[in-house]
Amino acid sequence: MEAFIGGTLTLFGNPLSVLIFFCGLIGGLLFGAIPGINMLTLAAIFLPFSGLLSASDAIMFYSVLYCSGTYGGAVTAILFNIPGAPENAPTAFDGYPMTQKGEAGKAIGAAVICSAFGGTCSVLLMMLATPLLAEVAVVYVGPPEIFALVFFGIAVASSVGAKTLWKGWLSVGLGLMIATVGLDPVAGIERYNFDYVYLMAGLHFIPIILGFFAVSEVFVQAEKRVRGIYDMPKFATGFPSVAEFWKLKVAVARSVGLGFFAGILPGIGATLAAFLSYNEAVRWSKTPEKFGRGELEGVVASETANNAATGAAMIPLLALGLPGGALTAMMVGVFQMHDIEPGPLVFINSSELVWVVFAAMFYANIAILVLGFLETKTVLHLLKIPFQYLAPAILLLSTIGAYAVRGLPMDVLVMFVAGLLAYLLRRTGYSVAGIILGLILGKLGEENFAQAMQMVSYDMWVFISRPIVAVLLFAGFATIVANLIRALRGLLKGIEP
Amino acid sequence: MHTWNLLRRSVLGLLVGLLGAGFAGAPAAAQLPDTMAKPGGFPERPLSMIVPYGPGGGSGQVSRAMIQGVKDATGIDITPDYKPGGSGMVGLKTYMAAPADGYTVLETIDDATSAYAIGKSKIHPAEDLIPLVISQITFSQIYIRGKETRFNDWASYIKFVKGRGGKSTIANVSGEGSMERINMNRIAGHFGFKVQQVSFDKPGQRYGALKGGQVDALFEQPGDVRGFLESGDFKPILTLLFDRPSAFAKVPSMKDVGLTFTPLMRFRGFYINKNAPADRVKYLQWAFQKGYHTDSYQAFNKKKFMDLIPSFRDTEGARKLINDTMGVYKKVYKEMGLVK
Repeated sequence: MEAFIGGTLTLFGNPLSVLIFFCGLIGGLLFGAIPGINMLTLAAIFLPFSGLLSASDAIMFYSVLYCSGTYGGAVTAILFNIPGAPENAPTAFDGYPMTQKGEAGKAIGAAVICSAFGGTCSVLLMMLATPLLAEVAVVYVGPPEIFALVFFGIAVASSVGAKTLWKGWLSVGLGLMIATVGLDPVAGIERYNFDYVYLMAGLHFIPIILGFFAVSEVFVQAEKRVRGIYDMPKFATGFPSVAEFWKLKVAVARSVGLGFFAGILPGIGATLAAFLSYNEAVRWSKTPEKFGRGELEGVVASETANNAATGAAMIPLLALGLPGGALTAMMVGVFQMHDIEPGPLVFINSSELVWVVFAAMFYANIAILVLGFLETKTVLHLLKIPFQYLAPAILLLSTIGAYAVRGLPMDVLVMFVAGLLAYLLRRTGYSVAGIILGLILGKLGEENFAQAMQMVSYDMWVFISRPIVAVLLFAGFATIVANLIRALRGLLKGIEP
Repeated sequence: MHTWNLLRRSVLGLLVGLLGAGFAGAPAAAQLPDTMAKPGGFPERPLSMIVPYGPGGGSGQVSRAMIQGVKDATGIDITPDYKPGGSGMVGLKTYMAAPADGYTVLETIDDATSAYAIGKSKIHPAEDLIPLVISQITFSQIYIRGKETRFNDWASYIKFVKGRGGKSTIANVSGEGSMERINMNRIAGHFGFKVQQVSFDKPGQRYGALKGGQVDALFEQPGDVRGFLESGDFKPILTLLFDRPSAFAKVPSMKDVGLTFTPLMRFRGFYINKNAPADRVKYLQWAFQKGYHTDSYQAFNKKKFMDLIPSFRDTEGARKLINDTMGVYKKVYKEMGLVK
């Protein structure tokens, strides 16, 4: 407690530190809300300047940016079906349908509260047990366990948003296939790039997400407008009630746990956290069929988990020097610019810095709550913009976002092709969410499976004899079999599975 | 063994050449003129530097350090433009598509050389590009956990690996044909053991795998794991150099364990398109080489253990280093059946 108070006093005792805190906070909210141009863009822009700041101010900026940037992407995901970052993609699954139902205020309100809550819980856990948790994570969870976790996640959520089980599985299959484009994760062998060098790097998931969500939505709404059935989203600022949140208390607690768990694993982070949490929300729900159609719990699960991952991702970084994602990797560079090597010695040699970071992340999550509410009141007015102005703006913003990821014109083309494909698939009952799930988890799963196989010398018995792997694989297969049995029973009763 | 004997013979001749390449062309800061007239006012605006990797890794870090060095030495502003993907190929290809007017420079590493040697790239780093300076050359080491109880030095590690019958694991980065894999294959060939090389692209996963005991050892360069060495989490058991560098005086070198092949080095440098105007190229050669000699850049290199072996190559030294390394890669790839 004394250390936390010390960190707080250091943070707010210096006007420059306070200014940097708010720059990180507002920068994250703004950059996080713009697709493609996300918090990483701001982080990269700021990198050369971080050498001019003190070590604690520089690291603090990135920590605060990480918290607010992860939340920032939820707003556009909910309002316009444009996830600001991959970790906000599951938020759009239900957030955007809620907007269409006139519940945008409720969805954004839930995102704000859950982001702040998930982030705060995560920071508190981080303060309590960073070194211990970091050690446990690297000892007990390696590539085999991460692959098993991904497999389980895919098995659970494979039918989300699809009209039938088969279409859900086919959607995930398509996502898995798209994930194989580019160099394979082990030997660097080229796959499906047709000698085109830019495809060697694979299809980046940001342009595909933008195409699947934003562009296809513009097409769908345009079609409705042409047919004269277009309904402008209803403007509503009603926030979720305490009773509604209380009903979701288990989902929130589960999402904090899952988000924290995914965040603590080196190289994983907020994206897997959001997808896993969403998947579990579907699995445990008594009404899973409502997911993908505007279920508040979907937004709650995704946004709680992705922010819970932010504090957790700092644990391996600070305690072991292991970055969990792109932003934490940049933070390693910032540490080194100040002659500090993140790792166990940071707690001994730079404990003041560590506690300034802890305090800053704690207050950043509190501030998200306040600023998020103010932002919500403002951004909801965007829904009043008529479609003929909004649609070109969404397409323009998405085009910029797709291009900005890597500066490749190919990505803009990929976005529009994905948009067209998604437009056609949505008409036929396939799941856009399933394709995204397959794409994102497929890349992660393949990489970890390949590493796992190398680690066990391609001996499947050794692989499945790891206890966590065995449990997760069993649970995944059991889920698939249970779904299959349910579908076949339905078929016998004449219901399309 | 025949393959490796052949290889050993074929590369021994390159030993002096590789490690000594460019020493003659490594002028001290004093040999470079303090100032140089801007050719026709060039540059009139900030330069752009394409970095074919992400901002957090070794290339991102050396780029920022060199950008600062050039700024300190000449006042020229350079903006980094990260283009990761395809093991550096996306950035390289993007660079070649940029106007050859001197306003865009490229940072790249030895991967560009190995990619050309194996046929993945058609861009020869010493012929299609002009090296402005190579500013980092570093050796690799093999690390084990500081708390490892199954083995504690090179001899006991070899014994352990042999006893595992090819099931021992070592973490590294990159795929088939990479500097890491070739070096490790040569070591395994010499000692007659098999080891499972596990490729982790992300540094966090790679170091976490060793720290958590998911793999038995790690192949890496010392500057990248300095923090783990200082904390005692990692311990080097072999240095891939013939002589022990001063900072690792207690760690056996290749000579100590009887390895005779020329180790492939990791090198990072800065390049410009060969079609850029000659006067601008000359000016940028001066600017980047001055940048290398600045206090800020030297402090950065020291922090990364880049002062243990000569890290500087001017244009001619860099060409020799690249061409010699290319020769080694081609020979090895041929022996491995990866190229004809």
